Amino acid sequence: MTSSTITPTLPDARTRLKVTAVHGSPALLSLIAMVVIFAVAVANQPGILSVPGLTLMLMSAVPLVLATQAQMLIMSVGDIDLGIGYLVGFVTVIAATVLQSSPLLGILILGVIVIAYAALGAIIQKRNVPSIIVTLGMSFVWLGLGLQFLPTPGGEAPAWLAAIGRWRPDWVPAPLVFILVATLLGWLIARRSRLGTRMRALGSSPATLEKLGWSLTRTRVLTYVIAAALIIAAGLMLASQTRSGDINSASNFTLMTIAAVILGGGNFSGGRALPLGATLGAVTLGLITVLLSLINLSSSLQSAAQGLIVLAVLAGRVITERAIRS
Amino acid sequence: MTTTLPDTTSQNLRRQVSRSRATWPAWGWSLIGVIGVWLCIIAVSSGSPLQPLNQALTLAPYLVLVALGQMLVITLGPGNIDVSVGAIISMTAYVSVAISSSMGPAAGIAAATGAGVAAAACSVIAILVLRVPPIIATLATSLIVASATLLLADANRSGAAPALRDFVNARVAGIPVIAILVALVTVAVAFALRRTTFGLAVIATGQSFKAAGKAGIRVAFVTAVVYLLSGAFAGLAGALLAAFISPSTVLGTSYMLDSIAVVVIGGTLIAGGRPVPIGLWTGAMFFVLLSGLLNLVGWSVGAQNILKGVLVVLVVVISSTATKTGRSTWRRLLEGRRTSTPITKEKTHG
Repeated sequence: MTSSTITPTLPDARTRLKVTAVHGSPALLSLIAMVVIFAVAVANQPGILSVPGLTLMLMSAVPLVLATQAQMLIMSVGDIDLGIGYLVGFVTVIAATVLQSSPLLGILILGVIVIAYAALGAIIQKRNVPSIIVTLGMSFVWLGLGLQFLPTPGGEAPAWLAAIGRWRPDWVPAPLVFILVATLLGWLIARRSRLGTRMRALGSSPATLEKLGWSLTRTRVLTYVIAAALIIAAGLMLASQTRSGDINSASNFTLMTIAAVILGGGNFSGGRALPLGATLGAVTLGLITVLLSLINLSSSLQSAAQGLIVLAVLAGRVITERAIRS
Repeated sequence: MTTTLPDTTSQNLRRQVSRSRATWPAWGWSLIGVIGVWLCIIAVSSGSPLQPLNQALTLAPYLVLVALGQMLVITLGPGNIDVSVGAIISMTAYVSVAISSSMGPAAGIAAATGAGVAAAACSVIAILVLRVPPIIATLATSLIVASATLLLADANRSGAAPALRDFVNARVAGIPVIAILVALVTVAVAFALRRTTFGLAVIATGQSFKAAGKAGIRVAFVTAVVYLLSGAFAGLAGALLAAFISPSTVLGTSYMLDSIAVVVIGGTLIAGGRPVPIGLWTGAMFFVLLSGLLNLVGWSVGAQNILKGVLVVLVVVISSTATKTGRSTWRRLLEGRRTSTPITKEKTHG
């Protein structure tokens, strides 16, 4: 994008358009996929096009969108979090047990999670260990903690959390509001704040960031802290919908969030954060599940259909990227 | 954690290594773990000291088999990981049971291995043709495979063939036959990695994807074969587990994370380019013995998982200072990396 370092002239309109297309096209493709899935769903079930219909359809996407924003931030510094699924599950467990019985202790535990994530960020940066393995190890820890607190699904979410889940305005689908807020939050952090710029710099060129005098460790730690806060929010939202705790309730989030970020134009090498794309990816994945149950596909075939659709969208993304670049 | 070190460093390293003569093997830490846990078990329980080891040898081979494939995949370099092994194990358990009830156990095992390869072929197409990142490609495969598992589970409810059941429980001189066979497979893989062109091509690809391509290695072919092998090992493990435990839709679930953990604990570099086949045994034995010990002491499943997770993190952190130079001092451990510029964080260009 910065050809200006070589020639002082600004890139012409055509180059800029091309760059925009290259950068925007992945998310665009996810948008198309989402619209198609939505259209098929509406054709099958016209009732969706009402506020309650949309509410039901988008509800399951809310926690996923929040967790995806967290994954997006972590992937923007070049890491991957394989512990998100069980951590979201663990937060629902905390919400349905400790947060209900002794709120202060519950908040304390949630605070410890944030501190743990800060420590993870520091370890990954200081010791240069792969984030995949560290977070994989942590996923065992969250799973174990969840089982310790609540061996079988159950418990009850506190009243204020259930109230959030019950909030149903007539003029707008409540999940849409949450999704927009989450996206806006992700956008503000990743694209508008100085910290977001540092995160992306850490992902694309840590040496440069360090030469500019920024602390790599602090950047990574802050990234992990914000990600932890978003993951906790995702867990609380999930608990507000299910009104109970289950350590396994979000175990598929780990890979779903990664798939959503990639679907929305992100990459594994870091340096890129596309909050809108990530949201589109997450909503697309969430809608696939809803659609498949709407069209009465046999439940055994649902996961296969999900896998094939993810592959198809990603294949489309690769093909369009190649077409635009050439 | 470096895959490629600057020249001066590697010379330095060689000097250090030759001075200290015996180098610390990458699987050393996990061996210490195995011995430590073993001693704890002996201390806690009464009975023959060899008994816990023998018991672990009945469970570890399956984990080693799956981890062999996972190790090859991880060795391919950054970004390469196979998250479909768990789903494949669950599916092939049903395949082996279904086929062996009509055509005999040998055909059942072959069919299960074939089914594993077929599932891996799906990942390979996604990775090479559609250019999907491996973690997503294998995730999509595992979703497709999960559907196949559910369909197969609906179709048949029979158990494993008695002949196969006898085979997985057979012992020679007190040692499980399965353990001996898997050990032979491990030796074969270790030999292939060190002595054959293909094995060296796998390692070269992991050390530098670009350099390997420039050197004339058919990187795409190597990648394809490695993923297919991983599928085959998972398929075989599924067939054997069907007889050892019994087919279920969640039979393989835990193997996905466990196989990755075993590979890493065993000393294989997660960044790729350095496989440690022996480490799979020490890693798997450590895992199995540890859960045996914790069961003995009466820890809950939850507490066991917490300890497992903490250990994985600790091993990675400690070995990050130890494995490369063969030396690990407290000073190094506390100091961390001197330069904070990650020379190593190789990028997956995708």
